Amino acid sequence: MRALVLILVSICVLPFIVRPAIATEIWIFAIFGLGLNLLLGYTGLLSFGQSTFFGSAAYVAGWLLKHYAINVFLALGIGVGVGALSALLVGYLCVQRSGLYFIMLTFALNQLFYFIAYQWTTVTGGEDGMPGIPRPDFLGLNFKDPLVYYVFVSALFLLSLWAMKRIVESPLGKILQGIRENEVRAEAVGYNVPRFKLLAFVIGGAFSGLAGVLYAMLFGIVPLEAISFVFSGNVVFATLIGGSGSLYGPIIGSFVFIWLSESMSVVWARWPLLLGVAFVVVVLFLRGGVVEAWSRFWTWQSSRHKASANPSAR
Amino acid sequence: MAILETQSLGKSFGALTAVKDVTLSIEAGSLHSIIGPNGAGKTTLFNLLTGTFAPTTGRILYDGQDITGTRAHRIAHLGLARSFQRTNVFPAFSLFDNVWVAAFATARSWQGLIYRKAAAYPEAAERARQALSDVGLLPKADVPAKAISHGEQRQLELAIALAAAPRVLLLDEPAAGLSPEETRRMVALVRALKGRYTIVLIEHKIDIIMSVSDHISVMHFGSLIAEGPPAEIQRNPDVRRAYLGGIAA
Repeated sequence: MRALVLILVSICVLPFIVRPAIATEIWIFAIFGLGLNLLLGYTGLLSFGQSTFFGSAAYVAGWLLKHYAINVFLALGIGVGVGALSALLVGYLCVQRSGLYFIMLTFALNQLFYFIAYQWTTVTGGEDGMPGIPRPDFLGLNFKDPLVYYVFVSALFLLSLWAMKRIVESPLGKILQGIRENEVRAEAVGYNVPRFKLLAFVIGGAFSGLAGVLYAMLFGIVPLEAISFVFSGNVVFATLIGGSGSLYGPIIGSFVFIWLSESMSVVWARWPLLLGVAFVVVVLFLRGGVVEAWSRFWTWQSSRHKASANPSAR
Repeated sequence: MAILETQSLGKSFGALTAVKDVTLSIEAGSLHSIIGPNGAGKTTLFNLLTGTFAPTTGRILYDGQDITGTRAHRIAHLGLARSFQRTNVFPAFSLFDNVWVAAFATARSWQGLIYRKAAAYPEAAERARQALSDVGLLPKADVPAKAISHGEQRQLELAIALAAAPRVLLLDEPAAGLSPEETRRMVALVRALKGRYTIVLIEHKIDIIMSVSDHISVMHFGSLIAEGPPAEIQRNPDVRRAYLGGIAA
């Protein structure tokens, strides 16, 4: 409940602090992170290929928006579908292996998609990206207005968060966490582990696809990076920094990541150094990311309060 | 009537033959023990019965049906549940969630798998509570599994198997690493389960085996060397030789 209030307040305040485009990007990236976290935080699968689904959805929906002037909701639906379908394809191959081989497979397949996008210049524009993606009006709403689009994205983010909350609190959420905790036992008690991993992939892919289309419409272009391993890595970094163990971790991570990259890149070209330091700190001392730091701070605070309220206990 | 049978079951890993030509018949409702020295192939036999490995030769029959080569995750749905020799639980989960996951796996319906609240399945929750109460861990239902003692983890191990509401329980050394006191509690527990389930028990502690078993099969170097009721096994010279090696020979 407190988390929800905090998120609602952030949604209202954010566009007054940073440019609306940046504010919008934060929530888009958060949707992307929610999808990854189902794999990373809940199922214990490190996927280094999430941009495959993000980028594929952005290209397909972007192309249809540009050449066939489809409406926004159809574009989003198609994006979700393409994200899920590409995740089904990639996931099917990846879940056959585990550990390091799994990670390398997600990465290698990501590279495969990347080079397709790179070579297929007539459609994707190759290195130049696919420009000229419109943000058509819908039901009299002028999506070209950055604030209107911001509100629209925020609403979709809230919807995604709600859906993800339902998923992680469902039996599926428990089963995926069981697979993370002990794959052998999960299999022995009667779960087809590869099938469940694949399901996590498809759901994660659907979220990535949604984020991809929103991203394409936000900037009016699908840059080649949108399907590159850099993007896959960014969402992993952001999620780990925010806290992969919790539902809200990726949201905080997205906030930190986008805000840092946008505000620091202007001031200091070497800003990714900061990111590197943050990452090292998280991996070494704070496996639960910002979320864990926050909860540790509060337990420390309350223990101090108790100690001062009750001096005899010292 | 035999509920579980193997016909000349065998498993080789390269040049090593871990299980060789094992023909077993486990009576419904009985407690059938499998004993033998370390490396006799007992756990491999369990892994074959529960689909962890496919056998190299032979067949497995369950309730008259050929289940040879059935994958591990299907086995639980058939009504065969196992516990592991090395504690194999879900460490970060509460004890309740540990057994709940097993209970839900074999629940009659998975309707609402991805959108209904996990708490909205009363049948699975009831079965989970029952399994915990059967092993005496219900008071600790909310404690995470990594925070309980080794002895309690062995009990949890058993509860996870029970939560699947199986017909056949395959217990792989439930008393492994337990103190004498904890062992006594585990024996009492297994005895209480006798009759409610068909139990196949692997155990090293001979005194336990002799006191609870209806029937004993002895394995040595992957093969069955003797079979019979406890009293008969105790007198069998081959069994003594297998256990005591050169000393008795």
